[in-house]
Amino acid sequence: MMSSANQKASTMWFTQSLRLLHHELRRGELTIIFLAIVLAVATVFSLTGFSGQIKHAIVANSTNTIGADRVLRMSSEVDLSIIEKSQSLALKSARKIETESMAFAGDNMLLSELDAVSETYPLRGELRIKTSLTQSESMVVNAPKQGSVWVEPSVLSRLDVNIGDIIEIGVAPLTIAGIVTDIPDRSYRAFIAGPTVILNIADMPKTELIQPGSRITYKYLFAGETDAIETFETWIKPQINESQRWYDAKAAQNRLSRILDTAEKFLSLASMLGIVLAAVAVAVASRRYGQRHQSTVSIFKALGASISHVRKLYCLHWTLLSCLSIATGLVVGYGLLLLGVNAIASYLSLADAPLTFVPFLTAIFTGLLCAIAFAIHPIMTLVKSSPLNVIRGFSQDKVARFGLHQLPPILALFLLLFIFSQDLVMSAALLLGGVVVSFILLLLGRGLMSAGRSVGTKAGKSWHLALANLKRRASENSVQLVSFTIAIKLLLLITVMKSSILSEWEQQFPEDTPNHYLINITQNQIDPLKTFAEENNIANQGFYHVYRGRLSAINGIKTVDEDDHDKPAQSDEKSGNQAKQETKKTEQKKSRQGMGRELGLTWRTELPEENEIIAGQWWQVGDEKPQVSIESNIAERLEVELGDDLTFTLGSDEFTVPVTSIRKVNWQSRQLNFIMVFNQSVLEQFPTTSISAWSILDKDRDLVYRFLANFPTITVMDFAAIMAQLNSIIEQVTVAIQLILILVVLAGSLVLIAQVQASMEERERELAILRTLGAKGSLLRNSVLYEFVALGAIAGLMASIGMEIAVYILQSQVFNMPGSFHFQYWLLGIGAGAFFVGTIGMLSCWRLLKLSSVTLIRRTM
Amino acid sequence: MHVNSENILSVKDLTKSVQVEDKTLVLLQPLNLTVAAGESIAVVGSSGSGKTTLLSILAGLDLPSSGQVYLKNKPLHQFNEEQRSQVRAQHVGFIFQQFLLINSLTALENVMLPAELANLTDARARGEALLEQVGLADRLDHYPSQLSGGEQQRVAIARAFIAKPDILFADEPTGNLDSKTGQHITDLIFDLNAKEGTTLVLVTHDAKLAARCQRQVEMDSGVLTEPTVEQVSNNAKTSNVESTKTQHHDVETQNSAAQATTPQVG
Repeated sequence: MMSSANQKASTMWFTQSLRLLHHELRRGELTIIFLAIVLAVATVFSLTGFSGQIKHAIVANSTNTIGADRVLRMSSEVDLSIIEKSQSLALKSARKIETESMAFAGDNMLLSELDAVSETYPLRGELRIKTSLTQSESMVVNAPKQGSVWVEPSVLSRLDVNIGDIIEIGVAPLTIAGIVTDIPDRSYRAFIAGPTVILNIADMPKTELIQPGSRITYKYLFAGETDAIETFETWIKPQINESQRWYDAKAAQNRLSRILDTAEKFLSLASMLGIVLAAVAVAVASRRYGQRHQSTVSIFKALGASISHVRKLYCLHWTLLSCLSIATGLVVGYGLLLLGVNAIASYLSLADAPLTFVPFLTAIFTGLLCAIAFAIHPIMTLVKSSPLNVIRGFSQDKVARFGLHQLPPILALFLLLFIFSQDLVMSAALLLGGVVVSFILLLLGRGLMSAGRSVGTKAGKSWHLALANLKRRASENSVQLVSFTIAIKLLLLITVMKSSILSEWEQQFPEDTPNHYLINITQNQIDPLKTFAEENNIANQGFYHVYRGRLSAINGIKTVDEDDHDKPAQSDEKSGNQAKQETKKTEQKKSRQGMGRELGLTWRTELPEENEIIAGQWWQVGDEKPQVSIESNIAERLEVELGDDLTFTLGSDEFTVPVTSIRKVNWQSRQLNFIMVFNQSVLEQFPTTSISAWSILDKDRDLVYRFLANFPTITVMDFAAIMAQLNSIIEQVTVAIQLILILVVLAGSLVLIAQVQASMEERERELAILRTLGAKGSLLRNSVLYEFVALGAIAGLMASIGMEIAVYILQSQVFNMPGSFHFQYWLLGIGAGAFFVGTIGMLSCWRLLKLSSVTLIRRTM
Repeated sequence: MHVNSENILSVKDLTKSVQVEDKTLVLLQPLNLTVAAGESIAVVGSSGSGKTTLLSILAGLDLPSSGQVYLKNKPLHQFNEEQRSQVRAQHVGFIFQQFLLINSLTALENVMLPAELANLTDARARGEALLEQVGLADRLDHYPSQLSGGEQQRVAIARAFIAKPDILFADEPTGNLDSKTGQHITDLIFDLNAKEGTTLVLVTHDAKLAARCQRQVEMDSGVLTEPTVEQVSNNAKTSNVESTKTQHHDVETQNSAAQATTPQVG
């Protein structure tokens, strides 16, 4: 009997805890906490899982992202000795030429990415095609036969052609023999000229696209036994110059995963705002929960329950709640993940990408942090409630604003930031930055609430009451004020960016601003083009010779590119930021920062329009002394001054010239601008092609296009198409940011509801007093409504101010255009804030407002 | 005068004072009291007289500043909160003016609570039986918010008796009820008390209610006195006339007294 009683005692707390949880869940007291944890967990899980799967699908899962063991990439053809050496080591090799060019079919033309590949391509990974649209299984292939091409599906629709039809690449007619489904070394750049066309490298000369100065990338692919590859690598590395890059699959993958990591980091940190708000909702709701349960704990204790009994009761209670919320969060998160996978299915199939344990761990950890760190203080205080309260009454002790109890939430925030950024300094900066921004918003918000109070005294009775209440609850309202301000601001910024800034930027150009760039113009094409332009009154900027070269040294010190640590040739085995920083520091001592890319160089006799000399002098016509003029921003970045000697590499040639002037260039003019402009004597001996910028009016478009079709080797870039691509990228980024904003708004609403619930008893009392004094129902309803409307409107007003500042910075710094006000968006911000917060607030007070006067008075008196 | 020679509660030289800023506020002057097992005793006195402070010390909810308190021969004054909890679980039952039911538990679950805390195996059966005795057999699964004040106090009475406590402390048990319901509740308490043979310590300012106890002591400004039999019967007579009209006023003074005592303890 005794042992059964003991056994019962040992499980009694368990039963009681379950019973309490069961009832609490049914009564909906824990709903806010439950929803907040679900929100945080679901967000983290879907975000981490989604980006992990994308990374896996693109990087880890692809058998090879470079189509070989090693790749040598350069802007000119390789020295034969390199190929011979690879053959002597029994290495397999393949060649690939990449460029952008027009594809023509009848009157249709399309800018496309051109991949010319040799018979052995690819050496690793699979190139897959389908030879008919109805074919279900794709097949593994190497290069297309001479005279034929494989194209990406969109080429067919955009050129209105079918498999078997002929398209022209440059001046070569080629037959479409299939559709490409998998390219092993596909490029994942944000800006790509257009869909890919793959042709046999032997057809390349027939296209006549390769001209001096053309933007052409030559790739040499090598594969073979590890020993042989390593021997080859040891032999070739010392010969690699600035204009060449030697890399393996890992380096390429690292580069790609770094880009994906950055994107993931950005989204995670952006979503941190939502997670922090969810945590704040947990904190507010658990404080109220603690206060509401004070009586339960005191009664338990008065009836003889020990502290350990109560502690176990609430620990289990909270653990079960956390587990339930986290599990639900994982399920919801998985649902969101599936939605995401489904949404991008047409771009990238994630069907085979496995879900690792990382998203599970991160999400569960986030959920636990929210549930524990933000609730531990109220729960600990609750457990300590004195049994004497049953006699002396229950007080709602005010928690000290600053104290040790705030340490766990702050540490938890820091930990969350660190998990998502994996950067200690960044986490600290974000935490501090967040505190500073919140503080500024708080001050401004308080100021506006006080101002509202003064205005309210002159407004009607409802407004008077509402604004007085708003000011009195100012500190409780602070959190939602800040959160709604930030959410509305971001929302406004996105809307303004999408609908205003880009179009305003485009509209500011004069009518004859060039809208087409003509690239790859050979010397003998210049005259007919000039004549055509003159005859048809087409505004143009003349023709500039373009030479492709690299800045290889400054004052005799070699330049190092920002991305040089990708090169296995120069990076050591260390990884992580620290290693990168160390490498960078040592590199800076013996080298100078370079441009990180090949430059388009040109020569001019006269200073181009939209250019202004700010230091030194432009050369006299006929000045034979070699010299260069450099653009001012780049000169500043590279720390180049007048008189410095710059060394350039053009193919295998190298030359050094002094800087004799520094130019300020208006990049926003859409004119053809160059960073480095030389005098004629420096460059004229090198073979080249030219570039021009034309302003083609809509009415002339067909005429010009038909004329340009006579010169198929010229690449035409339509600025409108580039803008369309920019817009579509912004559109995609917007979708991602909007998803996060939804999260922020949801979490902010939870905070609002939690705050309203926390003030419910106080509101009940106030309403009861007002009722007793004879206040009408409509007055009470309106005063509650206006209080929330005013809160939302203040958040909207602050958000509009923030948006306008951000837009001004974007306009003046990024787009170099005069600032403009966007008052219609202020109305939108204030209106949307007032409407949304008003609605949520009214809904959460609905039950209270529906109570009859008698009930209200009886409940509170 | 004592019904039983065995004292269940014994208080010697008990005092209680609290420090308010730099002043010492004396709530209870040195007092002595013994309560025999099975006895019913009423502590009467006006609001702020110290009777509730005395009850909280007698029940082991609070500690005296000096003196000794023995409950079932256990020295409460030497016990820490955990030990006092244990004593309460084993020997003490409570009925409060504010009912103090746990809102998130049903009537039956509220009643079962002390039995469960005392590790009794038949908590549910006892709870059901007691609720039936107080006339709430059909309200087992109702939540406190679904019950009237009188019904809530009946649940509290059932809860007080379920663990068969040796001593029952009732603090103004009818203070929040109308006179008719109050009468019904008083009957219930005394009936159950007689049936279970429980010792009853009743704190009240209602002389009529106090008169139903075998013995009465009076608190006045922290001083405990035991009135004569004549005084007691006089008090009961006058209260018959006045009790109805003073009811509302008393509740208010009680509330303000509770507020006034809030800073005194702790």
